[in-house]
Amino acid sequence: MVKRISFPSMGWSRIAFRALFEKLPGVEVVSPPIVTREIVKIGAKVSPEFVCLPFKVTLGEFINMIENHDVHTFIMSIDCGPCRLGFYAPIQDKILKDLGYDAEVLPIQQDDLLNFKWAKTLLQLSNVTNPIMKYVDVIHSTRIALIKMSYIADITKLEGLIRCREIKLGDTTRTVDLLMNKLDNEWDVYNLHNFDKVVKREFSKIPIKRNIQPLRIIVTGENHIVMEPFINMDVVKKFGEEGVEVHLVNTLYDWILHKLHINLKRKKLEKLAKPYIPLDIGGEAMWVIGHYIEAQSHGFDGFIHLYPFTCMPENTARGILEGQSPDPFYLPVQFYSLDEHTGYEGMRTRLESFIDLMKANRENNPKFMNNYQEPPEIKAIFDDKTQEDGISRFINHIFTPLANNIGIILKNLFSSEESKPNTREN
Amino acid sequence: MEKQEMGESKSMAVSQLQNDSRLHQSALNKEKGEIINVYMGIDIGSVSLKILLLDENEEIIERLWLRNQGSPIESSQEGLKKLRKNLDDKGILDKIRIKGVGTTGSARYLIKSVVGGDIAKTEIIAHAVAASHYFPEVRTILEIGGQDSKIIILRNGIVADFAMNSVCAAGTGSFLDHQATRLGIPIEQFGDYALRAKESVMIAGRCGVFAESDMIHKAQMGYNKESIIQGLCDALVRNYLNNVGKGKEIESPILFQGGVAFNQGLIKAFEEELKTKIHVPKDGLNIMMGAYGAALLVKEEAERTFKITREWNTKFRGFDVLNLDFETKAFQCQGCPNRCEVISVYMHNNNDNDENKGPKKELVARWGDRCGKWAVY
Repeated sequence: MVKRISFPSMGWSRIAFRALFEKLPGVEVVSPPIVTREIVKIGAKVSPEFVCLPFKVTLGEFINMIENHDVHTFIMSIDCGPCRLGFYAPIQDKILKDLGYDAEVLPIQQDDLLNFKWAKTLLQLSNVTNPIMKYVDVIHSTRIALIKMSYIADITKLEGLIRCREIKLGDTTRTVDLLMNKLDNEWDVYNLHNFDKVVKREFSKIPIKRNIQPLRIIVTGENHIVMEPFINMDVVKKFGEEGVEVHLVNTLYDWILHKLHINLKRKKLEKLAKPYIPLDIGGEAMWVIGHYIEAQSHGFDGFIHLYPFTCMPENTARGILEGQSPDPFYLPVQFYSLDEHTGYEGMRTRLESFIDLMKANRENNPKFMNNYQEPPEIKAIFDDKTQEDGISRFINHIFTPLANNIGIILKNLFSSEESKPNTREN
Repeated sequence: MEKQEMGESKSMAVSQLQNDSRLHQSALNKEKGEIINVYMGIDIGSVSLKILLLDENEEIIERLWLRNQGSPIESSQEGLKKLRKNLDDKGILDKIRIKGVGTTGSARYLIKSVVGGDIAKTEIIAHAVAASHYFPEVRTILEIGGQDSKIIILRNGIVADFAMNSVCAAGTGSFLDHQATRLGIPIEQFGDYALRAKESVMIAGRCGVFAESDMIHKAQMGYNKESIIQGLCDALVRNYLNNVGKGKEIESPILFQGGVAFNQGLIKAFEEELKTKIHVPKDGLNIMMGAYGAALLVKEEAERTFKITREWNTKFRGFDVLNLDFETKAFQCQGCPNRCEVISVYMHNNNDNDENKGPKKELVARWGDRCGKWAVY
């Protein structure tokens, strides 16, 4: 029997989740639709009032999937970590059953990925009976999911860097949508390994302003909130359209590498944050502090911290950031505490004021003057024209000249045919 | 005595603001037949509309305060009508040329497209600019308006940090207004009641709902109105400092702006809590600071643009905006599952009638969508 399953979307991460389950025999994956107001409303209605926003959103997504897409099995990560995330799956399962739905929430263990408890969920879903052959599909799916995850991270990173430079508004958004669609439907491992060339080619098509020095900010905070554009009111896009270079540091890939204990970047941030917060208290608290210290020393102009209204770890991080300012933490910081509300007005006021504040700092405060460094990615994409991949080489050197020649020949043929009658008449 | 405390730093502009001596000067100008170039600042908040006219020497020529009626469009038209009447009464209407319009407040974009504004800036920046012009030494601004409260930290005249209430509206003007009605006293006397109190009652200030139920309970226990109001003021100050001013370095001199700054009881409570003097802009200018800042900002913008391009034309539609009809239409975008409500503002020009189709329609603004495909500003 084929099982229809789904999972919370968490922005573009749905592509990676889909890749993880799509190739398992006996599983039919239904990719979750984008989060909407309606979904948040349903989730908030049936959730405990003071639970974190991601709980409400994911629960809303599940109910939406049950009612509109006929899916009754969901995958939700669990953790034995220090914050409430660890209990999402069992509580959501209970709430769904209490509501009378015939649905189950399957937990997937993400506490420590090296103990391979997560693979149990995948093996359980697969309907292959041979105990050895079972593993083949799981390994294959995991490989594809990891590759896709890394490209999602690359694309979202480039999106923030390029949007502030685009000449025609909306080019970057279109390119990102196109690339993500391509990535979602690409299942060939060879093509996936070469996907970075596609990313580079598509982004290099965007006409941009070079030689500008935009304001640079880091956007970070709780993973789900940062990655889900509907929930965070698309701050990355909003800042980008105002001409601010956004460095989005939270990605699923980053998180998975951390859980595999090979994320050196996070290790470095932990070391930086150690004097202020000595242990992981859940959420992203420790790394938020680390990112803040790093951003300050790298000459950024601002720092955005997004978190769900009732999130304990992120509130702690906020307290630490506020407590140390203005000395030694002098980098301007904005906190966006998000809940079910969808009104954008208050946020826009703060966003615009924050941009004005950063501009004034650039002009008047010696700490923020002349420390702009262009990210190397921009140079790699827009300056380096020498490296061509197979398709563009074919187009540039073979197809275009050939097409031109054929065009000229055809034109000559037709014009001669047309001119012949004229000459005869003459 | 107060003047001595604030010292000479209070700048000459202040004394000129205090007595509207500028009006006499403009009358003099009128005799000479000169045209005064003015900049208009419009601050449209949740409760009221403020309009302020500033001349090229940054002195106030005219100001206007109006409670919001109906939609922001209607109240801005009403405001302009009243402004024209005021100017006409003073006989300086035809001597004035409006060189720029700056809008601020929560409906700034709407009003910008309705009256034809040149810039729309957030109220935080507008308040900061106005405060640093009014009182150059200011280091902290407390601003409590109708629906929101803010704290702005200024260092060397530049905004260093700011915060705005994001989740709770306890302590704002609307809340106080509501409680005054409940206690049966006019809001204007709220502060006086608080000052008369001999003792303060402990009231929970964490949340508007808690404060209200606590207040009712205390009233039923038999406390008099004065001490309840004093307790309420204390609670609101605590709430403000915990909520909005959390982690901010509140250094004196402190300027208290916004409509709630009329409330003497709250000022006293702030002074006791912060153990320093709280300055309030004189002559009711505390409510005009947003509009003042908007006018200063548009003046700055005009001068800067003129310097670079040698050209500056305002987009102000003139007082003719009163003859125009504005119509808003909403529709639900079907492009994606988000189903955003898109609002469009159309302008009908009654003077410019098309025979077949009736008045000409022009789209002046459209927004409300998340993705930005409909947006017209």
